[in-house]
Amino acid sequence: MSALDRLPSGRGDRALIAGVACLFVGGLFALTPLQASLPSALYVFVEVGITFVIYGMLVLGLDLQYGHTGLVNFGHVVFFAVGAYATAMLAAQDSFSGIALGYPWPLALLVGVIAAALLGLVVSATSIRLRDDFLAIVTLATAEIFHSIFVNFEGVFGGNVGILGVPRPIAALVGDADTRLIATILVIGGITLITLAAVTRLTDAPYGRVLRAIRADELVTRSVGKSTIVYKTQAFVYGAALAGLAGGLFALYNGAVAPGFFTIQVTVTIWIGMLLGGAANHRAVLAGLAIIMGLRLVSRFGLSVTPVSGDVFAAFRLVVVGLILIAVIRFRPAGIWGDPQELGVDQ
Amino acid sequence: MGLLQEAIFGIVTGSYIAIAAIGFTLIYGIVNMINFAYGEYLTLGAFVGFFAASAIPVPLPVAIVVAMVGGGVISIVLARGFFTPINHTGPVPLLLTSIGLGIAIRNAIRLFGGRSARYIETETTTFRVDAVPDVSIGSVDLLGGFFVTSEHLIVFGSAVAVFLAIHALLTRTDVGIAMRAMGDDESLARVRGIDTQLIRDSVWVLAGVLAGLAGVLMAIQTNVSSTTGFSHILQILSAAILGGAGSPYGAIIGAYVIGLALAISTAFLPSSMTGLSSAVAFAILIAVLLVKPSGIAGTEVREA
Amino acid sequence: MSLLSAEGLVKDFGGLRAIDDLSVSIDEGELVGVMGPNGAGKSTFFNCVSGVIPPDDGTVTLDGTDVTGDPPESLAHRGLVRTFQNTRELETMTVRDNVRLAAPDQPGERTLPALVRSGSMREHEETVRERAEELIETFELDHLADEYSSNLSGGQRKLLELARTLMLDPEVLMLDEPFAGVNPTLTGEIADHIRDLNADGMTVVIIEHELETLTELVDRLIVLRQGRLLVEGEPEAVLEDERVIEAYLGGDAE
Repeated sequence: MSALDRLPSGRGDRALIAGVACLFVGGLFALTPLQASLPSALYVFVEVGITFVIYGMLVLGLDLQYGHTGLVNFGHVVFFAVGAYATAMLAAQDSFSGIALGYPWPLALLVGVIAAALLGLVVSATSIRLRDDFLAIVTLATAEIFHSIFVNFEGVFGGNVGILGVPRPIAALVGDADTRLIATILVIGGITLITLAAVTRLTDAPYGRVLRAIRADELVTRSVGKSTIVYKTQAFVYGAALAGLAGGLFALYNGAVAPGFFTIQVTVTIWIGMLLGGAANHRAVLAGLAIIMGLRLVSRFGLSVTPVSGDVFAAFRLVVVGLILIAVIRFRPAGIWGDPQELGVDQ
Repeated sequence: MGLLQEAIFGIVTGSYIAIAAIGFTLIYGIVNMINFAYGEYLTLGAFVGFFAASAIPVPLPVAIVVAMVGGGVISIVLARGFFTPINHTGPVPLLLTSIGLGIAIRNAIRLFGGRSARYIETETTTFRVDAVPDVSIGSVDLLGGFFVTSEHLIVFGSAVAVFLAIHALLTRTDVGIAMRAMGDDESLARVRGIDTQLIRDSVWVLAGVLAGLAGVLMAIQTNVSSTTGFSHILQILSAAILGGAGSPYGAIIGAYVIGLALAISTAFLPSSMTGLSSAVAFAILIAVLLVKPSGIAGTEVREA
Repeated sequence: MSLLSAEGLVKDFGGLRAIDDLSVSIDEGELVGVMGPNGAGKSTFFNCVSGVIPPDDGTVTLDGTDVTGDPPESLAHRGLVRTFQNTRELETMTVRDNVRLAAPDQPGERTLPALVRSGSMREHEETVRERAEELIETFELDHLADEYSSNLSGGQRKLLELARTLMLDPEVLMLDEPFAGVNPTLTGEIADHIRDLNADGMTVVIIEHELETLTELVDRLIVLRQGRLLVEGEPEAVLEDERVIEAYLGGDAE
């Protein structure tokens, strides 16, 4: 059988095992007196690493939508934000402003996932029939609307300050900062690896074949008897739910949510990561995301050695980010590891 | 402030959105792409006008012309450099490229121009009408006294001039007629011997000129910073889609609907929530795409 | 008894009437050709019957059930499958995946079985693989099985499309210009395949411009003109009909 012959096999099982192992070791750090120590030079790597594994869930969901099914969702951040806000508002004990209900965090996390999935359902029910570029605009506009709602309804969402006082389950268990960081990246990273295993199984199965057929030609896929609307809706909702999970975990790690965490920059970052790595290839999109987030590390170090202000450096980094997006689409439309024939692009 | 006053603000906002929306919708109709970097063309045009008016300095009308020429040049250079080479790849890569280009330009402006807002100083005359009675419903005054400034009149007058010029261009000139033919059916236009690349280039220049004008008018009427264009792009896009993507006349109507909706929502929203008025434009956009995707006058954007 | 029938079909496109009160009936096991000059409404007729576009008026009946306006996917489940005039392969998928995709009732096309890799999914997939390999071999595409279908020639695409539809084991097969752009040797092969399928009991409806092949192949010819039924009957009789000759040589040919 050829490499192209992606049908139920053991692929993704290693990710599952690794994910469970990460969760287990992370759990050991969190629940037992076991301690880890981390050289302070590595702090920044672990912090960016935690953001990476959270964004990893976003990029895997986006790739399910765009890479596999061809749905151009340019408002992915909204599902991340809704998951985060729902979790935060339900779990927060006491916020400076906005709603804080103080429910147990596992319940809050669950509600966060469901809220994001529901929003995904509403968006797809209304917009999934739109042409690609207009779906992109509707999703983008949805994200902007929610962003301004979060900012403007201070009594509910806490305005620009956001929701504070969200419980941090790992921090509550682990006092020492080094162990806490290690436990956090292991637990969230473990969940991301399990996500990777799940989407791999989904797309390697005949299910993924239908998704890729929809991306290739929806009418043909319908004429061989597949209810493409059902699949498009599912792919969209699954992606949204994964983003909601990422958002909930972010809230519980960060201890607070605010509109500044959920700007269009998040959407842009994961899109570039996906396109740079190569859409429709789970590992490639994660690798692409790692590259683009590595750029953040570079700019953090660069900032400390150059005599310019943080604002100038941030602007410069974003110019580079924009140019990378342009260059990838023009010169390597299938990304670094993507298959041009499978993606239907000239390279 | 009375609703009448808000309506005047709405018409002024609608005027520069309309000028920009015509350019945006022409690009959509002829090049078949949603140009998300178009807001940055406005910002660049405004900065060109600002420097002409303050650094050189030249009289205001000259500065406006400089901004328009600058906008046209910037637009065709960017199109040749970034969009024309990937014209064949379809709407999604073009949209994504424009998003990347928008980010790069926006931050380049921030890098060189800083974050501060600038405006072009003009001598302003204000005309007041206070003889209108107040008709209040709750906290909102349905009529009320109002004023119009000379800046308002410049913006509105420019918009009307643009509408007339565009109408003449599209109906009386060969280039304009070819543009319309190409918007209807590109392959048919090619068969009839229309140089489609030449028409695309003309559209890029024209759209850039309009963006430059809209940008400099914003700099006169309010102020501009590196994010001005970006904060207006969804309004411009909403106006264009509301009018029926690809239709310049529809875009004009769409722009005034959006302008008035923004102004009136500002009047009715509590003052702590005026930030929501921009969300109103997007809500209109989504509603239009869902209820009547073809807009007031335009083509189908749903899958067959 | 008629297996597939259309009664009083009407379809307008922006004031232009593409088909006008068209009634056609096809019996089980028939092999029917549909011909007519350009713009006669052949493709619109196919599109209305196969659910690609809903007719403005009239009814479509399949096996005694009213299926007017039913979407293509539900018609496929009822046993009516079609091909397209400009072959539409899933270009970004391999020949194998193109054929396998069409397999009906695969439990692995639902989320849960796919996630848990259920036994029924694996078993079913084994059957799907075997059947797909058979079809790929029958249509002599085995040397191309791992190629992306974008690399196929026009004739090979027609074969692939046929193989893909057969994966569904349809009762009624509607072929839109299966010989267009195909070289004579391959045309003969495709015609043989169609004949075999019909001999095995499959009802086949073909739109075709290639008159010679069509008339040799079919039991009955239906000629459309300006969206209406002009003539129908035995191929020889139809071809000699004055009205048909006029339609093909007259001004309507444009």
